Amino acid sequence: MRLYSTSSEETLRARKLLADWAAEGLLSKAQYERLEQETVSELRTTNIFLRLILFLFTLLCVAATAGLFFKVFVSRSPDQTTGIFLLIFAVVCYVATEAAASQAHLYRHGIEEALAVCSVAFFCLGMQLAVFSGRPYSPKPDVVQCVMPAAGVVFSLWIWRRFGLWYAFLAAMVFALFLPGYWTSSHWAQHAIVALLYALGLVCVIAARSGEHREDDYAGVEALLWLGIYLAMNLQLSSLNTRAQWLGVGTTPASEFPRSFYWTTWVLVWCLPGVVLARGIRRKHRLVIASGAIVAILTFVTNKPYLGWPRHTWDPMLLGILLTGTALFIRRWLVRGPGEIRRGFTAARLSGRDKNWMHVGSAALGLVTPQSITPAAQAKSAAFRFGGGSTGGGGAGGDF
Amino acid sequence: MTILVRLDRWKQQGAISPEQHAYLSGLCRGEPFSLFLELNILLYAGVLAFVAGLGWTVTTWSQQLGDVLVIAVLSAILAACFWYCFSRAPAWSFAETPAPTAIFDYVLYLGSLVWCVELAYLENRFHLLSGQWSFYLLATAVLFFFLAYRFDNRFVLSLALSSLAGWCGLTISHWPSHQDATYRRCALLYCLLVGVGGELLERRALKPHFFGTYLNIVANVLFWALLSGVFNRQGYGIWLLALVIACGVSLAWGLTRRQFVFVAYSAVYGYVGVSSILIRDINDDTFILGYFVISAVAMLVTLILIARRFGRTA
Repeated sequence: MRLYSTSSEETLRARKLLADWAAEGLLSKAQYERLEQETVSELRTTNIFLRLILFLFTLLCVAATAGLFFKVFVSRSPDQTTGIFLLIFAVVCYVATEAAASQAHLYRHGIEEALAVCSVAFFCLGMQLAVFSGRPYSPKPDVVQCVMPAAGVVFSLWIWRRFGLWYAFLAAMVFALFLPGYWTSSHWAQHAIVALLYALGLVCVIAARSGEHREDDYAGVEALLWLGIYLAMNLQLSSLNTRAQWLGVGTTPASEFPRSFYWTTWVLVWCLPGVVLARGIRRKHRLVIASGAIVAILTFVTNKPYLGWPRHTWDPMLLGILLTGTALFIRRWLVRGPGEIRRGFTAARLSGRDKNWMHVGSAALGLVTPQSITPAAQAKSAAFRFGGGSTGGGGAGGDF
Repeated sequence: MTILVRLDRWKQQGAISPEQHAYLSGLCRGEPFSLFLELNILLYAGVLAFVAGLGWTVTTWSQQLGDVLVIAVLSAILAACFWYCFSRAPAWSFAETPAPTAIFDYVLYLGSLVWCVELAYLENRFHLLSGQWSFYLLATAVLFFFLAYRFDNRFVLSLALSSLAGWCGLTISHWPSHQDATYRRCALLYCLLVGVGGELLERRALKPHFFGTYLNIVANVLFWALLSGVFNRQGYGIWLLALVIACGVSLAWGLTRRQFVFVAYSAVYGYVGVSSILIRDINDDTFILGYFVISAVAMLVTLILIARRFGRTA
């Protein structure tokens, strides 16, 4: 099913690891140059920046071509005709993707990725216009109309399996979100169905995982599924009224859902971080560990609204102390182990990529953070006072 | 053939030593598994959450807590952070120096952010500089530059550069007739200042690893400023010329130094600028779509040629 051969992908992986090890000084220059000769792959890849701009311009080219075609040839045609042409465009894009990957050997090159994305987009839009345009609107769920998101799920999953693009799997998850809306109008049932679909996907992914070379691909998908299950279950994040409720207006999720379902999700929201973290640590999967850490933090952040308790201004401080304390505790625990290793884990940096990520992240985040932390220009109004909620917060204080 | 099999073969061929084989095989199997990145992200998130909560608490409860308590607490945190950093910092060096402890960078970052909160509180409460925020930003930028170079910290360097940019922007906003053109000139001045400063510091080998941060910020600010000039309805010719020159320089720099982010900058910013000129007065959708098809294909061909030559080894 996978277009790229295992050996080609393994060779590319070996090549990247060699570069990483050479940069870290684990291999001498002579060793690197010799071993690099043995890791020549027929796949054409490129660096991340060229990949991004190639993706962008391919997307622009395909979208403009489609737009031009519709403008010149089918501008006055009914929606069904437009839909059929979009489906043809989807087929053309998909064939071009296959050709780019199999004939030109493009691998994570931007071009074949943009073509694959366009094929999914044209396919779903074409399905909607060709099959369902002109149908009268009905507020009741219509099972037939779920064909479009279902087709989106299937096609996205195919793209993921065929080309190994993780964001195609994410697209499949997004399409799956829309499915329950066509089956039932019950909000709690929609949440439960989405979580069940993701759980089903998780079981399949865990069962399908085999072989070492694609372990990372599956780990990324597993991390996405765990995150999806959590978001579907955490009613404080995924409720329809979340935004209004966090702003202090509108109904709370507690009143929106049946009581038993609400409290079941609360229990699950507390159980999931432990399960995800335990699995990530046991399997030593970085992305699953990251997913577990994210859901753990989200659990702490949403617990008070879940219980209906008031938020306090110092809650973020407590969270910050907890996060920092946890990081320091884990680090100290690891460092005190023999050779700074405990149970196969270390706090030491072993890869040059970690260092690069830290450098890029620190420079970028340093630019972003001051926007939210540094003071804004003082208001010119004489009535402005520090406190009293004028600058944010709950407005608990009055004026000086 | 998996990487482990390759390592076995390379060991048998004598391409790598048994020690290298043992170590690299362990790395491939995740033995040991490094939590370095995760622990650093956790520390960063912790510091950020703490300062956000601190700022929110001070803002909301300043009246109940009282000035003395608020300032005392903020000053105590600030003093503790800076005492920690100055007492543990290694001797200063021109070259890159690793942080002495795992939490060192984050303590310094915490101190820098608390400085901002305290400054905001002092000015809002006591109006020490009568609302002249630009002076605060300038002073903050100077302090952060000092801290960044003293402790070799990229977080604080970025804070310094953004504070300096904030100072430039805020100074103009106080002028009676501030307009886009003034902002543009100021942005160019900022680019010149930061670019030349960064270049001089690099030439003197003073923390030369910071140069990349300077260059990226300068490139982005410069391209935004030039684009804003190109978007003008009148007098855009000079800005277009400047944009084309900047794109050429960025492309050449990216290719010769193998820093492909600059190739990306020149491609994207250049395409946006030139396209905006070419199609600005055209209302024919067919022509515009045709333009995008042809220009995108031309860009793709050019980029593929670049990718063929440089991409594989990048």
